[in-house]
Amino acid sequence: MSGQSDPRGSTFSAAELEFLAEDETIEIVPNLRMERLSLICGDFGPFRPQIATQVPIWLAVALKKRGKCTIRPPDWMSVEKLTQVLEAERDSASSFEALPFHYVEISRLLFDDARDDIPDVYMVRSLIEDIKDVRFHKIGTGLEKLSSRTYAMKLNLSAMEVNVIRPFVTGGLETFYKLGNPDLIQESSDRPQHRRPQPADRGPRRELRR
Amino acid sequence: MYGRKACQLVKELTNSESGQLTTFNNDLFAQVIEECEAHFRDLQALFMKMQEEGTSNQTTKNPDHFGAFMHHLSLVRNKRCIMAYVYNRAEVVQNLGWAVELLLPEEIEEKLSNSEKEYFKNHLATLKSYMTDMDIDLAVDMVPPKDPYIKVRVLENMGNVALSDQEANLAMHAILFLRRTDAEQYISQGKMEELTV
Amino acid sequence: MESGSDKGTGGFSAMDDYETLISTTDADLLKRSWRNEKAAPEILQFESSLVERSRAQIQLMEETVEEFMNSGEDPLTVSLYQMDIDRTVFLLRSYLRTRLQKIEKFMFHIQKTADLWSRLSRQEQKFAKRSIEDMEKHLDQSVLSKLPDWYKSHLKQSGTSEEDDMVTEPKLDAFVICRSRKFVGGLPVDDRQVNNMSFYKKGWGDYIIYSKVKMKKKLDKFCGEENPLDMYAGDIYALRYKSIKPLIESGQLDLV
Repeated sequence: MSGQSDPRGSTFSAAELEFLAEDETIEIVPNLRMERLSLICGDFGPFRPQIATQVPIWLAVALKKRGKCTIRPPDWMSVEKLTQVLEAERDSASSFEALPFHYVEISRLLFDDARDDIPDVYMVRSLIEDIKDVRFHKIGTGLEKLSSRTYAMKLNLSAMEVNVIRPFVTGGLETFYKLGNPDLIQESSDRPQHRRPQPADRGPRRELRR
Repeated sequence: MYGRKACQLVKELTNSESGQLTTFNNDLFAQVIEECEAHFRDLQALFMKMQEEGTSNQTTKNPDHFGAFMHHLSLVRNKRCIMAYVYNRAEVVQNLGWAVELLLPEEIEEKLSNSEKEYFKNHLATLKSYMTDMDIDLAVDMVPPKDPYIKVRVLENMGNVALSDQEANLAMHAILFLRRTDAEQYISQGKMEELTV
Repeated sequence: MESGSDKGTGGFSAMDDYETLISTTDADLLKRSWRNEKAAPEILQFESSLVERSRAQIQLMEETVEEFMNSGEDPLTVSLYQMDIDRTVFLLRSYLRTRLQKIEKFMFHIQKTADLWSRLSRQEQKFAKRSIEDMEKHLDQSVLSKLPDWYKSHLKQSGTSEEDDMVTEPKLDAFVICRSRKFVGGLPVDDRQVNNMSFYKKGWGDYIIYSKVKMKKKLDKFCGEENPLDMYAGDIYALRYKSIKPLIESGQLDLV
């Protein structure tokens, strides 16, 4: 049952997130001739050698594993684009750059099965790791600002990030809500900051550049 | 102190890892039930006394009334604790129904009370009955499916073989994609090897 | 496909709306129902016609695969069709399973709440009835038969209780994380009486915490008054389940 999400926690397991990500479409260049596939999840193809076409990632990976296509990594998965994203992530304390909802899972799927189709794969991989780190740090800083008066929280994050912080956000907000009295707990910014170097709203830029 | 034993039972629950069961504590459980019975006897005795003295209507400033009330509250508290104990364990037993086939492994079964064993059987039957009604097996596919095919190299000439989804020519050195379930027997016999991409 | 709507930012909103309009296949709907059911604290309406259609499609595809195999179709094509079936079957099973697990957890509450009871399929109602019988029997044997009459109920703590105060209920106050499919304006965010409260938001960009503050607080901290919330397509928010429930039912928001 390990791969199944906890029925109590109502979150998705890593395998389930990957499953969802596998439905995202991606461009492939087939090297085989195959008729159109009329699948439950949609119609794909027809497949002609050297003619690019869009398919779900699970289908792309299945063809790739069998040596029947090359996968064109999505635009955002280039060194140039990811470097920009990383810079921008570091420059802003509360904005998150536009990455697909499933960027973590998609990159993992492609690293596993289509390494040779990704230019500068090692660089791309390490950039994605860095982006993940920076974003998680920002998320952590943001969570410190939750309070009993929080009634909503905008979190334009990726699937994996949402899943990881879900217990904190939902559990934390719920606890505040239960405590009820909004005056019981002071807004975190009203409190004298302890230990941490002042995580002002702009966010500590130095810390991000670990 | 009243309620302490019942509280211990609940602690046993919270101390065990989530989803895990400890052996049903018959002994402590019986003691809590006894405590409940004692509370009820005292409660009744106080009521009788109040009735005899004609003070049963004087709800205020009557020590016997408060005494009875305290026995009532203690009994309720004990009840809540043992219900929590049994109910939470029952939830774990429910989940076992999803994880195991018809029979419980011995090491789990010996931790259950008789009623829990019976509950497991009944609830499993309820689950199976739903699956029969719906004509669908829900005890499989617990995790999302992955590509069921694996890449193998044939190490021995086996000729044409009918597999679950295809007839394949298993000639030596051939590289094929087979269903994992089909390939596994040959791999374990050393007649094939799995190739990683 | 959800590709368009799966972009995490507002920049893709026009695209999102378009995508939702042109392509909502049963496979998408099943996935959405599965996600919502998994993430919602309470049991949702059973999607009976969707389940029926999905099962019919699965069966049709299984027959197609059978024909392919008999006609000696390329094994690659066959395996791709098979994988597509496997994925749909998984979603269907997991959807049904998630619902049964909720029934197991909240059986007594569902039984006594007509609205919830009506959300179950016929087979689920039968499952719930039997589950309740099993549980009642077990609780009675283990505990209740050993207690005095006044304390024998599994729903009430004692005869003194006016309400059923021993029944597990889903937490409708719980925060859930949801994503908008298209622009949703003026979201009612809280059902608590808002007295003397102003809304303000803190942070900007994609990470905003909306809070209520008392009016008398220093105003210089505010980035401006923020009344009920506007969500743009693709925005993700943590919100109280209760406040957005109708929007999930109408398909404007998805739980993620």
